[in-house]
Amino acid sequence: MSSNKVLEQHIAVFGESGSGKTVMLSSFYGSEQEPLNIKKGAFNVVAENASQGTHLHQNYLGMKNSGTVPEATRFASTTYRFILKFKGETEAKRLKAKPFDALRLVWHDYPGEWFEQDVSGPEEERRRIDAFRALLGSHVALLLVDGQKFLENVGEEERYLKSLLSNFRNSLVLLRDDLLEDGKPLVTFPRIWVIALSKADLLPDLDVHGFKELVIEKAGSEIVELRTVLGGLAESEAALSVGEDFVLVSSAKFSTDAIEVTQRIGIDLILPMASVLPFERHLRWAQADKLTKKVAVKLIGNAEVVAAALGAASNIVAVLMGKRNKLAGAVGLALSQLTPKLEDAIKSAGAKLEAADAAAVTKQQNLAATLDGFRKDLDEAEEKAILVRSAG
Amino acid sequence: MSFIWATRGRTWGFRFLRSGGFGDPLPPYDAAFADIDASPSAFRRVGTTVAVRFPDPSGRNDSAGRPIPHEFVVLPPLSDHINDVAGALERIWPLVADEYETVWDSDPS
Repeated sequence: MSSNKVLEQHIAVFGESGSGKTVMLSSFYGSEQEPLNIKKGAFNVVAENASQGTHLHQNYLGMKNSGTVPEATRFASTTYRFILKFKGETEAKRLKAKPFDALRLVWHDYPGEWFEQDVSGPEEERRRIDAFRALLGSHVALLLVDGQKFLENVGEEERYLKSLLSNFRNSLVLLRDDLLEDGKPLVTFPRIWVIALSKADLLPDLDVHGFKELVIEKAGSEIVELRTVLGGLAESEAALSVGEDFVLVSSAKFSTDAIEVTQRIGIDLILPMASVLPFERHLRWAQADKLTKKVAVKLIGNAEVVAAALGAASNIVAVLMGKRNKLAGAVGLALSQLTPKLEDAIKSAGAKLEAADAAAVTKQQNLAATLDGFRKDLDEAEEKAILVRSAG
Repeated sequence: MSFIWATRGRTWGFRFLRSGGFGDPLPPYDAAFADIDASPSAFRRVGTTVAVRFPDPSGRNDSAGRPIPHEFVVLPPLSDHINDVAGALERIWPLVADEYETVWDSDPS
């Protein structure tokens, strides 16, 4: 966290050129600027850099009103920071106990060809390494499978999938020495690698279960190889889900003469996947004893902040925050005692927030309601066969 | 004829097909295009250097359906005679059109 009032979550979207990274980013931000979404939500999504916000909104409106897709990203990566500002007045008494009052989403966009071809020279090479370092410091990663290429290879999906996954793997192998400082494995690392079908509108008959089965059947070996390479980059490599979570994503419905931006799939899951999915998984790994002490303190410390936010409205925050010292001191024992209670506490806190009225509640309650809403969004996406989460 | 040429093909992403004689063409390319927005066509002169962008004259797209742009940083003496996008199309495009025809649908590396 860069501040004690902001929880910062980084998302890494890995995808080849033309797979839809910039469209996805523009759709995410643009849809949050729609007047209808601004009014009904308990929070506003604001780009910290106003020029970047205008640029993304312009991309979105170009798709919506003129049917034009954003320009390809070239020769450089750009980091976008979005703040979720929660509505409502802050209550002075609760301010001290409040873990954070805003959530920041950090999203890195870059040229997809950095996975596919050589760079043009030393400057682009430096930028590529910097971008990959930033991506590998994220909390969750989406690995895009291009729905258009998937469709072009119907019946022979393995050709495309094997090539895609091998390109990712090879890029990471080649950059490994540049990505690790002194060869030390990374503690902050995207430990959940969700495989996402982009342009899912092109494959309307394929639900997430069918997608998952196809990927595993056709490219299971490549997933295992990718996991091995990723495991070599991260400390506590047992705490790693690669190709165990799947999601369908469509930034809009594209046809020959129009782009219907209201026909989105999975874009509303970006925030829940960035914030709540790692939190849930980290708790599970802690319970299963898959984390070293160093990683546990880092990950569960963060999870505890989310839990405290969720629990703020039901007065469990003091209990949770009081356990923080124990966690750092005797992590194994404290985790085994703490984690089941955290899950229970969050569920009961969420139930009390169900009827929250955005116009009347405090900023704290809005924050807690939003995080709890994210948790439910993930559940609902699973019920609708848009998302499947790892059982492990 | 000294110029930097950046473009992409049907299946390959942005790269420099001419370096303008620079060992690393990216810094001078960045400097020339720094204040130019993402419009499909653009022209800017700073001193003796011209930065110009136009969409592929044959209307070719990449495999994702995005129109292909061509971007040039033109140095003197060629830049002395180019004052707008139309002028760039007339003077520069004939110098690279045949080459692009042969590489746009295959990997130039």
